Amino acid sequence: MSAIAFFGAIESGLLFGLVAFGVFIAFRVLDFPDLTVDGSFPLGAAVAATLIVSGWNPWVATAMAMVAGCMAGALTAWLNVRLQIMNLLASILTMIALYSINLRIMGKPNVALLGDETVLTPWEELDIAFYLISPILLTFVVLAVYFLLVRFMTSETGLAMRATGVNAKMARANGVHTGRLTIMGVALANGLVGLSGALFAQTQGTADVTMGVGTIVVGLAAVIGGEAIMSTRTIARWLFACLIGAILYRLAIAVALNTDALGLQAQDLNLITAVLVTLAIVMPRMKKLKRSGGAA
Amino acid sequence: MIEVKALHVTFGAGTPLENHALRGINLQIPEGQFVTVIGSNGAGKSTFLNSLAGEVIADTGSIAIDNQDVTRWPTNKRSSLVARVFQDPLAGTCESLSIEENMALALKRGQRRGLSRSMKKEYKELFQERLSRLGLGLEKRLGDRMGLLSGGQRQAVSLPMATLQPMKILLLDEHTAALDPKTAAFVLELTRDIIAEQQLTALMVTHSMRQALDVGDRTLMLHEGNIAFDVQGDEREGLDVPDLLALFSRNKGEELSDDSLLLG
Repeated sequence: MSAIAFFGAIESGLLFGLVAFGVFIAFRVLDFPDLTVDGSFPLGAAVAATLIVSGWNPWVATAMAMVAGCMAGALTAWLNVRLQIMNLLASILTMIALYSINLRIMGKPNVALLGDETVLTPWEELDIAFYLISPILLTFVVLAVYFLLVRFMTSETGLAMRATGVNAKMARANGVHTGRLTIMGVALANGLVGLSGALFAQTQGTADVTMGVGTIVVGLAAVIGGEAIMSTRTIARWLFACLIGAILYRLAIAVALNTDALGLQAQDLNLITAVLVTLAIVMPRMKKLKRSGGAA
Repeated sequence: MIEVKALHVTFGAGTPLENHALRGINLQIPEGQFVTVIGSNGAGKSTFLNSLAGEVIADTGSIAIDNQDVTRWPTNKRSSLVARVFQDPLAGTCESLSIEENMALALKRGQRRGLSRSMKKEYKELFQERLSRLGLGLEKRLGDRMGLLSGGQRQAVSLPMATLQPMKILLLDEHTAALDPKTAAFVLELTRDIIAEQQLTALMVTHSMRQALDVGDRTLMLHEGNIAFDVQGDEREGLDVPDLLALFSRNKGEELSDDSLLLG
C-alpha cells in the first residue's frame, strides 16, 4: 500500500471516528437505535459547504454544521420521547426528511469546494506533505472531541445520561429527567456526525446528497469492531476503542482494496463492510464459545 | 407527613380490560412512622406504591407530602421527596455501571445535575463508609460493575443508595421477596436498622403477614383497591397472623383465601 493510500485510510478513519462516537452515544449509552446519522452526515456536509461557498469562515461554517446535526438528532428523539413514535422509526422519518432538506440547503445535488477557503487552507501553506495535512488536523480535532466526551460522560449529567440508557425507571426514581437527557444525547450524537460530515466535505472538496448512504453501518462497524479487540471497562477506554475501531476498519478496507491478489474493486466497498461487521459481531461470541467449551 | 385523599387509579379505562386498581384510598402517615402494607395479588399494593412514587399518576384524589400537593408531579420531580427500593434487585441498580457510579447517581437524587465531575474523593469516602456498614466487603470493590454482584448484594447496596439523600418517605416494594430466606432476613434487618437510625418515614409492601407484623409501627391491608384494615399502637401489639385474618373477615365480611397471602 502506498503512503498516500495509508494516510488516506487514517484520514477517513479519523473522520469516521467522530461518527463512531455519535453511534456509540446513541446505540451504547442511550440504547437508542438511531439511523438519523445517514441523514445528518450529509446534512453537516451540505451546511458547511453551502456556507463556505457563500463566504463564511470555514470554522464557523463547521460549527453551524454541528448545530444542524444536533437539531436533526433532537428532532428524532423528540418524535420518540414526546410523540411516542418507536425510536427506530422516528430516526428513519428524520433521515428521509433530511434527504429533501439537504437538497434544499444546497439547492442542487452537490456543492464543490474547489478553491474555497476551508479549515485546511492555512495548513496548505506550511511545509508538510499534502497527504499529511488532513490526518494531522483531524487528529487534533478528534482528540479534542474525545477528551471533551470523556469529561462529559463522567460528569453528573453524563452519568445520568448513561443511567437513562441502562435503566430508565431507576434513573427517574433518582430524579433524572430521562426524556430530556434522551433528546440531549441523540442531539449530541448527531452533532458529532454533522461535524464529521462538515470535515469530510472539506477534506474531499465536495458535499453530495448521497454521501450519507451507509454511514450508520460504518459507524456500527467501528463501535463493534473496537469493542471486539479492546477493553470497554471504563467509558474512556470504551470511547477510545470506538476510535481505534474506526481507524482499523478504514485500514482493513484500504488493504482489501489495495491487495491486487484479492481482485477487489472500489464498488465492492459495501460488501466488504457487511462482511467485516458480521465478523466483528460473531468473532467475540466464537471466542467465548471456545473458552466455555475448554472449561467443560 | 404524607396525606393521601380519595385516590383513584383506573388502568385501561373504557376498554374491556378496564381495571379499577385503586378505589378511593385515604391515608395519613405522620413523620417517622414505619408502615407495612399487605394484600393479596391484585389488591393494589404495587399501584399504590407506584402512585406515591409518581410512576402512576392518579385519576382523581390527591397526594400531599409535607402540605405540598405532588399529585401531578412525575417521578423525577418527586424524587427529591421520595426514595425507593425496588422488588427486583436488577431494577434498582444499573448493572453496567460500577458500584461507585450507581452510588454517585443516587447521591444526586432530586438535586440539580451539572457538568462537575460525578466522582470526587469525598464521595468515595462517603460511599466506602456507608458500604462498610453492610459487612459484605463491598467497600473494597467500588470500581466493580454492579452486574458482578449477587441479587442479595445488589439489594443490600440499594438501601444505602436510597438513603444517601434526605427524603420525606422511603418506599420499599417487596424488596426481600426475590431473595433466598437467609439473605432476605439480612436485608430486612438492615432495613430496620437504617430506618430506625435515620428515623425515616417508610412504607414497606410485603407478601408475608408475619413480616408485616414483625417490623414497623403500623400495618395496613389492601383489598380490591381499598384499605381493608389499618392497625397500629396497642391494637397492633400482640397481634398474630390468625388475628389479622379474623380482622379482615370482620371488616370485609368475607373469608380470605389462604393461598393468596403468605401466612408465615
